[in-house]
Parts: sequence; structure tokens; C-alpha cells
Amino acid sequence: MKRSAADATLDPAALPAAPPARRRRAPASWSLRIGAGLLLFYAGVALLSLVWTPYDPLAPGMGDGYLPPSREFLLGTDRLGADILSRLMAGARYDLGITLVAVAIALSIGSALGTIAGYFGGVVDTVISRLVEVFQAFPGLLFAMLIVQAVGPGVPNIILVLSFIGIPDYLRLARAEIRSRRAWPYAEAARMVGNTPWLVAFRHLLPNSAGPLLAFTSINAAFVALVTASLGFLGLGLDPNTPEWGSMIARGQDGVMTGEWWVSFFPGLAILGLTGAFYLLGDALSDLTDPRRRR
Amino acid sequence: MTVPLLRVDGLGGAFRRRDGGLTPVLHDVSFALQPGCITAVVGETGSGKSLTALTILGLQPSAFVRRSGRILFAGQDLLALPPSAMRAVRGRRISMVFQDARAALNPVFSVGAQLADVHRLQHGGSARAAWDAAVEALRRVRIPEAERRARQYPHEFSGGMAQRAMIAMAALVCTPALLILDEPTTGLDVTIQSDIMELIVELCRDRGLTACLITHDLGVVAESCEEVVVMNAGRVVETGTTEAIFTRPQQPYTRRLLAASRLDAAAA
Amino acid sequence: MALARMILQRLLWVLPVAFGVVTITFFAARVLGGDPTELYAPPEATDELRAQIRAQLGLADPLWKQYLAYLAALARFDFGTSFTTGESVGADLSARLPATLELGLVGLVIGILAGIPLGVLAAVNRERWPDFLVRGVTLSGMALPQFWIGLVLISIFFVQLRLLPGPVGRLPIGVAPPPPVTGFLLLDAAFAGDWVLWRMAAMQLVLPGVTLGLTTLATVARVTRAAMVEALQSDYIRTAIAMGHGRGMVWFRYGLRNALLPVVTLLGGVAGHIFGGAVLLESIFGWPGLGQYALQAIDHSDFAALQGFVLYASLLYVLAFLLVDILYLLIDPRMRA
Repeated sequence: MKRSAADATLDPAALPAAPPARRRRAPASWSLRIGAGLLLFYAGVALLSLVWTPYDPLAPGMGDGYLPPSREFLLGTDRLGADILSRLMAGARYDLGITLVAVAIALSIGSALGTIAGYFGGVVDTVISRLVEVFQAFPGLLFAMLIVQAVGPGVPNIILVLSFIGIPDYLRLARAEIRSRRAWPYAEAARMVGNTPWLVAFRHLLPNSAGPLLAFTSINAAFVALVTASLGFLGLGLDPNTPEWGSMIARGQDGVMTGEWWVSFFPGLAILGLTGAFYLLGDALSDLTDPRRRR
Repeated sequence: MTVPLLRVDGLGGAFRRRDGGLTPVLHDVSFALQPGCITAVVGETGSGKSLTALTILGLQPSAFVRRSGRILFAGQDLLALPPSAMRAVRGRRISMVFQDARAALNPVFSVGAQLADVHRLQHGGSARAAWDAAVEALRRVRIPEAERRARQYPHEFSGGMAQRAMIAMAALVCTPALLILDEPTTGLDVTIQSDIMELIVELCRDRGLTACLITHDLGVVAESCEEVVVMNAGRVVETGTTEAIFTRPQQPYTRRLLAASRLDAAAA
Repeated sequence: MALARMILQRLLWVLPVAFGVVTITFFAARVLGGDPTELYAPPEATDELRAQIRAQLGLADPLWKQYLAYLAALARFDFGTSFTTGESVGADLSARLPATLELGLVGLVIGILAGIPLGVLAAVNRERWPDFLVRGVTLSGMALPQFWIGLVLISIFFVQLRLLPGPVGRLPIGVAPPPPVTGFLLLDAAFAGDWVLWRMAAMQLVLPGVTLGLTTLATVARVTRAAMVEALQSDYIRTAIAMGHGRGMVWFRYGLRNALLPVVTLLGGVAGHIFGGAVLLESIFGWPGLGQYALQAIDHSDFAALQGFVLYASLLYVLAFLLVDILYLLIDPRMRA
């Protein structure tokens, strides 16, 4: 074949390479790194707060009330003179802990029920699906408020309520996943070699749905963290002195009106970091597990 | 030989992988399209034939990095044109028919509306006139009840009907000098395939269109094309007239391809 | 035809959902809830007095009798009487609905008008700085608690800059509302021709409306972006470009029209979210809407008010989804067949 003059320019650096292509891979791994990194950071802070915080997070009067951020109190003090940084650190235990446990419970129960409904179908499926639809007619936060008020205060109760309102979503997702995989050749193959239906459903089909389920779990965790903070903000379910971030924002609400913005401001940033980390991680996971988006 | 209408000259390039490395896919691809001829570019899946065709119109995937070559059309290098000038070439001078016509038409607009949009873009005029032109174009590609069909949506069309509409849009509503057809009959029933090819050949003859037919189906080529370009693994293996390629293939790859398609035809 | 049948089907489906919601809230509230008698009886009250109060509150009967009585009343659209306001719950809710709806609609409009263009901007500049910027904004909008955004906006625009009025409700303190026609202050003030009042009401709406709008915007922009990115990679967009269509046509007519389908689906959920969020938002801005009412009901174990509110919210939620389905049918020809 003929060689043209243009062939002389084979130096890749001299080429008008499309910039979008160059950065194609980067964002997914960025969100994974930032998301996972932030979560580890929060977990570390939560653990650290068990053994060390700059001041006692529960005790008032560490300094004067409403001290602005300074070298002594890095993020200032609240109305009662408690150190905000110490309270933020201790708060990681509540917000991160409640969220993780609630999500884990909802994921386990929801995906188990969803697997049963999706694999076996029939009456069980109909009953479960209808129930889910009714529960989904409740706006989540409202429902959480209602039951928290009903079952009474305490961290275990909050966790129970949060996992309870999460179950329908996991159930629906797991059910859809299992149904779409039930007829696949590998499920057929697993049945042919003599696995019981339960084994096929839980050992072969469910693990294959782990990707989408985990991606959703991460995004749902962000929502759960927000509801946790909202309950705290409304003073539902937790003692108002608890260093939970939402409760801290509520305590600073009066200060906002008189110019002491820092009391409410910093807990909001702490929430942003936690929920943002869950969102980023969820995005990264769905990019990794959705073959359509993995180009 | 006359001056070619379009000449692909030493086109080479690679796909950028997710890790940032390059996978070469086209190597020094060169061929020419003679005016008024139907030229087939044949090859197996992955031979780079569709990528080459898309590159002519600047529609290559963004991961494709061109490393060399020119595409000369009417004395201009298409690859060097600014985006606005390229837009003026698309549809007006060079137009294209795609493989899966039902997916290539917009699902939320009626087929007639899409043709009318293109008519107004290329020829101006009133919405009414554009609609009439769209219906007329559908009639010309022998879509029955064109008036009613124009108001329907792509999902209401069969694959063959959608491909007719696509051809009406690319070759009749647009009035190009060069028509590129990227696997226009793939995925259609055999009888529909030959109807569509008949239509394409007829339109090209009537309007003196130059066409470039991308296909892996040698049977189609023998019946309708004057020139053949054989591609394999991103390289042009052999070029020549249809008669020469079919009767005196020079390259072992071309011979294998021909043998395979004869077996295919014999089996069918 | 298909449309009419679908609407009918959906409306019929509302009944069992409403029944389920009523049943669940009733038993959740009664079985798990506190005893409101405690709130009304003095600590030294005798058992006799307590029983008397209980009977007055309608709590003396066995649970199933209370449930049946409640259902029977509901069938006559009687939501019961609130313990705290002493008014009929139906009247209470209807009186407060316009405040919540007015705020919700302002937030929704801001969210849609800003969210869709931002999503398109991000999608057509995929992996470039406008995209990263929009993604940063949407991530923050979704990750930040709405009540915190509200407080920060109050702190900036009211406390520090004094540009906008404080969080004291729908009108400045001491200002009388216009004669009620629709309950929407902006409309009622306009009907009354009182533009000074209209402006005051509008100014009060800015901060809560923007707060709600920011959260809505985040979700809308995110979904628009994802749908638009997918649309732009489609075969039909490639066709449109090959036929010579310019960017504007390709993005806004051929691309966006397809990308709007998932956005419309999302709106039902957003509407529900607005109701859920109303509880928090209204407590920040002193907004006298349904959310404040619900919060008060929760605080006082006001069963009738609570049940009425949850039922109201669920029905509005189901209604929002119905509207979305109809809208979807109108813009996607594939659904009409």
C-alpha cells in the first residue's frame, strides 16, 4: 500500500488525542478512593474517640459558652461550653455506628426475603410484594419519626426502626435481581446437578446479585445517615445531650440566629463527609458492577 | 481511472484502553471511491471496516485516537476540517445509513417528523413542505401507506421498514454525493435483505450516487458492487473490481473469505 | 383509551393502599405508642380520673372496636378530632395543606428549572470541568441535611447580610394574611391586588424555597446527567449527527427529549421527598404547614392527628405517582401502543 506523508507523524505526543478519552477511567477510581478513604477516616475517628478526645465530649463548661474557633478550642464551644471538636469525634460513633448496623440488618433481612419471593414466586411473592407496596406509600422519614416516637428512645430502637424502613427497598431489589437470573443457564445447570432450590437461590443466585445490592446498600446508607441526623435534629429517639451530629445542629440552632454559626456549621460538614463518602462509594460500585456502564 | 470522489489515505489509529494504553486497530488503511460506483468494503467483525466508515463522517468513538492519514473528499482533508465545516458536509455531501435502523431512529419522535427535521435542515422551507417531502420520500422507498406510516414511531416499524425509512432519510431527504451504508442488511430476514439491496442499487443508479457499502456478506457484494476493498485486522488486504476479486483473488485471506462464503451459500 | 384505563386501574389501587396505610398507622400508633392519658392527667391523678380521661379521649374501648369505629368514621371522610387543637383533623389538615403545597411547588419549580439545565451541561461536557463542578454540587446537595442547608442560608442571608427576612413563617410577624381564596398566599394577595403583601409573602418564600430547591435540584441534575449521557451515546444521536444536525438540535431536541423520561419517573419520588422533608424544613422556617402539625402530633401522641396526617401524605404520594405515570404516557410513544 501507498505510504503518505502523514505517516511520518507517529509520535503520540504530537497527536490531537481526545481529552475525554484520556481521563475516562479516572473518576470511577477517584470516587472509590475518596469514598473508601473517608469511611476509613470516620471509622478511625470513632475508634479514637473511645480512648481520646481533646476534652470530655459530654461535659459542659469546658470553656465559656459560644467561644468561637480558637487554638484552645479548634472548632469553638457550644452554648453550654462543651468542646465541639470532641463532640464531633464522639458523634462519629453514633452516626457511623447506627448507619452501618441498621443498613447491615436491612440488607440481610431484605435480600433474604427478596430472594425467597423472587425465586419461589407464587403466593409468597404476591403477599410480600403487596406488603412492600403499602410500606412504600409511606414517606420514609415520616415513618421513621412515627415509629421512633412509638417504640421509645434509645440507640437500639433507632437502629431497629431504620433497618425496618429500609427492608422494603432491599427486598424489591433482591427480588428483581433473582427473578432476572432465575432462568439463566447457570441457574439451570445448578439445578440439574441436584442442588436444592434453597441452595440454588442462596448459594448461586444471590451471590451473583451482590454487586447491584452492595451498590444500592452504599447509596441507601447515605439516606439512613441523613435520617439518623434528622431524628437527632428533631430530638426524637436520643437524649438531647448525645453528641450525635443532628442533635448538635439542633443545639446550635439558637446560636445561628445570634451569629454563633459554628455550633451548627461543623456538624453539618461532618454529615456531608459521611453521606458523601457513601454516595461516592455507591457510584463507584455501580460503575464496577454494571457491565453497561463499564465501557 | 477518473479522479476518485473520496480517498482514504494511510489512515491509522488505536483505541485508548481504560488503563491509558493504546490498542492499535487501523494500520495504513488506503482505498478510493470512484464516482458513480458502489464500492464494497468487506471483512469480518473487528476488521476495522465500520470504524473506517464512521471516521469518514467524524463519528468514530471518542476512545479512537487517529495516528496518521488523511481522508480526501472533493480536494479537502475531512480529518482537518473544523467542526462547523464538518457539520456542513454531513447529510449535505456525505450521508450514512446504519446497521440497526430501529435503534438508529429516535424512539420519541414519529418517523415522518424525523425525516421532516432533516428536510428543513438541508433544504429549509415550511414545516408543511418538509412533512410532504418526508411522506414523498417514504413513498419513494416503497413504504406502503406512507402518509399513515409517517405518523408512526420507530417501535411500530419492522426492521426492514425502518431500514427503508432510514434510506429515505439518508439518500432522498438528504441529497448527498456519497452515501455510506454500514451493514444495512445485517439482522434482517434474507428476503427482506435482497429487497433492501435492490432498493439501494436502484437509488444509486437513478441518482448517480457514489456509495460505500460496508458488509461482511460477500453474496450481497457480488450482486451489487463494482469495486471491492477487502479488510482484515485493521489492514486493507486487497482492492480491485468485483470481477477481479471474485475470479482472480491475489491474497490468501481473500481466497479463504471467498471459500467460506461459498460453503455458506452451498449450505443455505 | 389506554390512558383512561390506566388511570382507573391506578385509582382503584389507591383504595387497598390507603386501607393498608390506615391499618398500619392505627396499630403502630396504638400498640407501640405512648398513652396520651399521661399527657393530660396530673401526676397525682387517681386511677378513676385516668379512666375518665381515657374514656373522654375515646381510648376506653377494646382496640378492635376503636379500629372499626375509626374505619367507619373514615368512610364518611371524618378523620376524627385532634386532642391538641380540639378541631376536626380534616379541617386542620386542609387548612395547613396550602402552606406546604406552596412551599413544595416553589421548591419543585426551582429544582426542575435549575436541575435539568445543569444535568445537560454536565452531560455534554462529560469528564470536563463543568461536569466535575455539577457533580460536586449535586453530591453536596444530596449529602447535606436539608435542615442544615436551611440554617446556613438563614445565617448568611438573614443574620449576616440582612438581605432576606428571618424564619418566622409565611408573613412577617404582625402582618395579616390576605382574604383566603385558595390558601396560596401569592395567589390570594394577587387576587386582592395587594402587591406589597405579595412581595412580603414572596420574600418569606425565598429562603425555604431555595433550600428545598437545592435538594431537589441535586437529584434532578444527577438523573438528568446520567440519562443524557446515555442518550448521547445512543445510535439515534449518531444518526442525528450524521444527518448534519447542529449541537442545539442534537442536545435539546433529540437528546433531552429521551433523557427526560427517567427524570419524569423521578419526580414522583421527589414529590414524596418534599413531603417527608417538610417536617424538618417547616420547623426551621416556622412554616405553619402539615409538617409542623405532624411534629406537634408526634410530640403529643395525638393519634387522630397523626393518623390523618400519614394518610394524607400517603394519598398525596400515591397521587403524585399517578400524575407521573400519566405524564410518562404522554411523552413516551412506546407506552401508548
